[in-house]
Amino acid sequence: MTSLADGLTCAAPVAATTHVQLGHGSGGRMSASLIGERFVRAFDNAALAALGDGSIVATGLETLVVSTDSFVVTPIEFPGGDIGSLAVHGTLNDVAMMGARPVCLTAGFVLEEGLPLDVLDRVIASMARAAREAGVPIVAGDTKVVERGKADGLYVNTTGIGVADPRLRPGPARARAGDAVIVSGAIGRHGMAIMSAREGLEFESTITSDSACLVPVVEALKRSGAAVHVLRDPTRGGVASALNEIAAASGVAIELDETALPVPENVRAACEMLGLDPLYVANEGILVAIVPAADAATVLDVLRNHPLGAGAAHIGRVRPEPAATVFVRTALGGTRIVDLLPGDQLPRIC
Amino acid sequence: MCLGIPGRIVEVRDDAGLAQGTVDFGGVRRDVCLQYVAGEVAVGDYVIVHVGFAISKVDEAEAKRTFEVLREMSRLDELEWMADAIDPAFRDPGAAATGAKA
Amino acid sequence: MRYLSEYRDPAIARGLIDRIRRTATRPWTLMEVCGGQTHTIVRQGLDELLAGAVEMIHGPGCPVCVTPLEQIDKALAIAARPEVIFTSFGDMLRVPGSDCDLQQVRARGGAVRVVYSPLDALALAQRNPHREVVFFAVGFETTAPANAMAVWRAAELGVKNFSVLVSHVTVPPAITAIMEAPDNRVQGFLAAGHVCAVMGWTEYEPIAARYRVPIVVTGFEPTDILEGMLMTVEQLESGRHEVENQYVRSVRREGTVPARARVEAVFELADRKWRGIGEIPMSGLRLREEFAAFDAERRFDVGNIAVNEPVACRAGEVLTGKLRPPQCAAFGTLCTPDHPLGALMVSSEGACAAYYHLARHRMGTPQEVTA
Repeated sequence: MTSLADGLTCAAPVAATTHVQLGHGSGGRMSASLIGERFVRAFDNAALAALGDGSIVATGLETLVVSTDSFVVTPIEFPGGDIGSLAVHGTLNDVAMMGARPVCLTAGFVLEEGLPLDVLDRVIASMARAAREAGVPIVAGDTKVVERGKADGLYVNTTGIGVADPRLRPGPARARAGDAVIVSGAIGRHGMAIMSAREGLEFESTITSDSACLVPVVEALKRSGAAVHVLRDPTRGGVASALNEIAAASGVAIELDETALPVPENVRAACEMLGLDPLYVANEGILVAIVPAADAATVLDVLRNHPLGAGAAHIGRVRPEPAATVFVRTALGGTRIVDLLPGDQLPRIC
Repeated sequence: MCLGIPGRIVEVRDDAGLAQGTVDFGGVRRDVCLQYVAGEVAVGDYVIVHVGFAISKVDEAEAKRTFEVLREMSRLDELEWMADAIDPAFRDPGAAATGAKA
Repeated sequence: MRYLSEYRDPAIARGLIDRIRRTATRPWTLMEVCGGQTHTIVRQGLDELLAGAVEMIHGPGCPVCVTPLEQIDKALAIAARPEVIFTSFGDMLRVPGSDCDLQQVRARGGAVRVVYSPLDALALAQRNPHREVVFFAVGFETTAPANAMAVWRAAELGVKNFSVLVSHVTVPPAITAIMEAPDNRVQGFLAAGHVCAVMGWTEYEPIAARYRVPIVVTGFEPTDILEGMLMTVEQLESGRHEVENQYVRSVRREGTVPARARVEAVFELADRKWRGIGEIPMSGLRLREEFAAFDAERRFDVGNIAVNEPVACRAGEVLTGKLRPPQCAAFGTLCTPDHPLGALMVSSEGACAAYYHLARHRMGTPQEVTA
């Protein structure tokens, strides 16, 4: 295999990518670049360009918040949930992270030829239950079938429409120096639950996905009257990626205390075994809230009084600089940067 | 080269002539090949696991002994520091008499 | 976690740091060989906390980083073949070859899978009898017993569709090469704890004696590394040059004998090229002739591999401790984790990646950092 660069002395980087790679879906730098340089640029509108969890659309009457997400998780059913409940919770959460109240959902399906119908039935039942518990109907949908091998069992897309709430208008660019960084519960559960079922990496554990609808938690925050600058659900790429995006959007630094991070023992053990950092592992049932320091106690109180927020913790603070940087203060007193990864975090031998 | 973590053997079995076992790492369990430590381990022992293989047995007695030494050393250091900070005479009785700092 | 968390105790760590500072009457330069140790040092900021007393030079103990470009290119060529399922440890997936990496091969249609253990790759072969399963057997002596077992089992069970692409290197020749280099500054070594868990430490005794350099077998947690550093500094301060063992809970002088025996039975020593460094005689492992049937290099004719190493990549100098990553002109500019010039910026254990991800804000710009 000879290289196109033969004969050249300029040390150009390794060949530009010509095909979609898995890293493009990781939530890290490759994802950000794909989204920014291709989709956002082409679709070209301010609502999209803000890159919030949902987009704000003024209609002249209500201000709507719209969010859409596609779900391609394998395996389809995993400890603590399935692609269906994930699809409902995930989109409801994105709408809620904008401070909006979700009013309806749509659901689109791409089914692979050969998918057992009893699996589909379980997924549908799970979605129906999740939607019913949240009080948000699935009002429109679509189904397509593709040939065997063209979809991993099934893919689901859900779109959520919500009504903006003047009481809560968080945004990724609103973090300010001095703010407190709070997380509503234990980190790393969803990603490690998935990993425990992945072929080639399987392990037994009691780790279950934390997939849950956070709408009631956000409603409780609204009622408390606490000022909330940023809300985000740290899904793919984990808490680290979410905080990096916020730090960049707000032009601030975020400092975390290693000893304050709520990592369950079983998640920690699984991460040790595979050489992974819990800060980069996906979550589906927690939120990150960045609030003025004066409101931190109130917010922690509200969260801890809700079953989904029992493990809420104050994990760090916003500093003015270095801008767009997230770092951790270690138990030993040293510091280390928590960078945005290029692609997926990979299990390692070293 | 390096990522080896300690885990406790909870089950041993024979897999077509290969010594295998289930090892518990703080609540997470995985199948591990125990062939290389087969003669010297039993359920309840700790092993160092690297890429699904037990590469050595943890010497718990040695671990305990050396950790105690380490902890004692750290406590002594702390005591010394505290002593220096509180009362120079504690270290050097002569210092109190002359008023010199330790 | 038992036998892990205790060795992260901040009070003990601070005590050790203090002791090192009080013991060292002058600055000492040590090398930790293993990438996993580099990771802990940079991640915990140990080098920052010991500045002035101990300088750590990061050694070539990253098997991913030192895998020769030719082997990476061979892996890419094999992985691209339609009949092959190419399996590998996660670390290897983004290591750049001359033209692309395994992730890009996957994007273009190749079947590339991450596995945790070589036995998982063998099981995959047994489950997919109509495909050729190839395992990228990379590593130092720690991983050799696992890779040896996979080949041994394949032979024992008669699995015909399984083969390995071998890229194994051994540590002692690398230490010798470093001590032989005319501009060597290393005064003491922290030997790789898990390599020694397998191999024991007898191979290091002649090296310590010949080059009059202390070598301390060291673990991977913060207090292990600090204790190892303290033991090395104590030796240097008292003019000793012995092999000592810090990692007593996991390492014995003779290592794990059955593991060594299996490695001996399946592999033999060979000359080996180290990416960025060059050839070090008898520093690699290759399959013995009786296991030739499982050698992927023989099974798949990948033709002539002409490699193209980027000119600006100074991995060799970083690997032998002559250059600190931020001192490389390409660091953070031409070479970042998004578009790495060499393996050191990709592998989580590569010194360049460690610095980039974890310590960039401490290092200043490349021009500001002194040797």
